[in-house]
Amino acid sequence: MSDLAHDPGTTPHLEVEHHEEHESTGIENRKLGMWVFLSSEFLFFGALISNYLLYSNRGGYEGVYPAQVYDIPFTSVSSFVLLMSSLTMVLAHNALTRNDQNGARTWLFATAALGSVFLGGQVFEFTTFVVEHGLTLSTNPAASAFYVLTGFHGTHVAIGVIMLLSLWGISRRRGGLSEKQGLNVELVGLYWHFVDIIWIVIFTVVYLISSSP
Amino acid sequence: MSTAEHRPHPTPRQYWMIAAFLAAVTAAEVAMYYIDQELELEFLNVAILLVLSAVKFMVVVGWFMHIRFEKPMISRFFTAGFALACGLYLVVLSAMGVVALRG
Repeated sequence: MSDLAHDPGTTPHLEVEHHEEHESTGIENRKLGMWVFLSSEFLFFGALISNYLLYSNRGGYEGVYPAQVYDIPFTSVSSFVLLMSSLTMVLAHNALTRNDQNGARTWLFATAALGSVFLGGQVFEFTTFVVEHGLTLSTNPAASAFYVLTGFHGTHVAIGVIMLLSLWGISRRRGGLSEKQGLNVELVGLYWHFVDIIWIVIFTVVYLISSSP
Repeated sequence: MSTAEHRPHPTPRQYWMIAAFLAAVTAAEVAMYYIDQELELEFLNVAILLVLSAVKFMVVVGWFMHIRFEKPMISRFFTAGFALACGLYLVVLSAMGVVALRG
């Protein structure tokens, strides 16, 4: 089923096994496109993080501020979960390069599961903020900025989970992933790690630094 | 082909070790948060947290996203996007007085 069979004496990687269309760059078009897309996403998230920083310390608005109600221990666990999902993602990619289809499938599912746990945590956090602290999207500009930033990040995670489950479903139905689908795993992996590094920044800047005394 | 493409990718065992390192740095970040609650380190706390965050960022990009093993063009694209965003928003936040306020 798989086209990823290789000489067991070597340690090939998907990058060198693909035979996709190449431009003069020598890089698969879709892969280069994904890197360019991710680079542009920095501007998107940068705007949202800046927006939050702009309003998080600005007084004069009524209602509770997000930094007053953060549950740092809870968010730390969520951050750890998302960080470990990057490990499972890279293990899925690594398993595929070794033509270990079962391993790749297992790690893909584990990544989707950890992503879902992170999303569940975010839903719980938002619910707690709204119900217990009265912090809604319209409470003040800081609250709006917080929900828009973390909400958009959560949306990215949700899209990643859908893509991971799609790959897992294809692999399960067909008994493995083909060479072409192997590139998809790499692209989804890049997207997933990007979502992780954005959270690394959000966790530090939005949660830890902005709620410091 | 660049030198980077000839570097061997990490093994699963090495990936686990990298993840353990990332978990330790995250623990250090959270510890810094609580230390700051007690000692009010202010700027020092911000500086340490940003450095720890940057370390995690670079490790994930370098090893998990394999940018160390890719062609230099990819690295340039990614670095340019990141630098552009950082530069742009630092200017904006400075103009609005936010960066100075936190410093």
